[in-house]
Amino acid sequence: MDRLVVTVLFLFMENELPQATWKERILYFFGRRRGFLIEGNSMAPTLLDGDAVLIDPRATILAGDIALAKHPYKQSVKILKRIDKINTDGSFELTGDNEVESTDSRTFGPILSKDILGKVVCRLK
Amino acid sequence: MFNKIKEKLVETLEIAEAHCDGPCGVYDPAQARIEAESVLAMTKKILDLKVPESGDAKAQAAYNNTLTRFIVIKEERAELAKHHLMVLWTDYFKPDHLAKYPDLHETFWKAAKLCSSCKQEVSLQHAQELMDAVKKVHEMFWDSKGKDVAWYTAS
Repeated sequence: MDRLVVTVLFLFMENELPQATWKERILYFFGRRRGFLIEGNSMAPTLLDGDAVLIDPRATILAGDIALAKHPYKQSVKILKRIDKINTDGSFELTGDNEVESTDSRTFGPILSKDILGKVVCRLK
Repeated sequence: MFNKIKEKLVETLEIAEAHCDGPCGVYDPAQARIEAESVLAMTKKILDLKVPESGDAKAQAAYNNTLTRFIVIKEERAELAKHHLMVLWTDYFKPDHLAKYPDLHETFWKAAKLCSSCKQEVSLQHAQELMDAVKKVHEMFWDSKGKDVAWYTAS
């Protein structure tokens, strides 16, 4: 039964991020999208290690979106997590879908809006 | 052909990290306590070490060797104690815990500082204060997990 629930959930979450359309690929070509390769499994099962995604740097970020952000303590590192909550001061609480394994706002606190780099819009592979 | 181009394209992408902590989720302040106990024991041993009478080269060499070993062990164990404390502080404890333990940051900060003091000095007082700090961490940790685990020492 658990397996069935997880499978249905997995299929549902798979649909959350569609494959890149030609339109998205053209936007990437013209620099309106940025491509990223995922390292790690803190966003499993939505995104797995080795998956590639496109980011829209101009998109409005809402709770529930998957966002790319600068790591609060290692500014050269970019992290990919889900927006769990937007605080009243405009900062963002980020959580990995794989909560058991994820290092996120529960550990390093909220992320400032200036450090949010974009929203994941589709997967490349 | 198309797949090869795709693979090459993917290789050029930037990295977005979705890394995670060790998935085991197993934490225990006992690791820090064992190291702090070693620091206290080595500090006592250094202070108790008898300096040989001058002119006895063999005894002096043995003394130097023993003292060096004690210092090295104290140095290593204090660093390990600091490491285990930092893991608990940064990985186990979450912002939510601050509400229940408002002195959490102060406790860990002082404990980490005491680890450094124990390396720099041969201070029985600071070694004992480190043990007291680790005991406080032990109490906060097990209380946060809702378990009643009594404090104990191995020595």
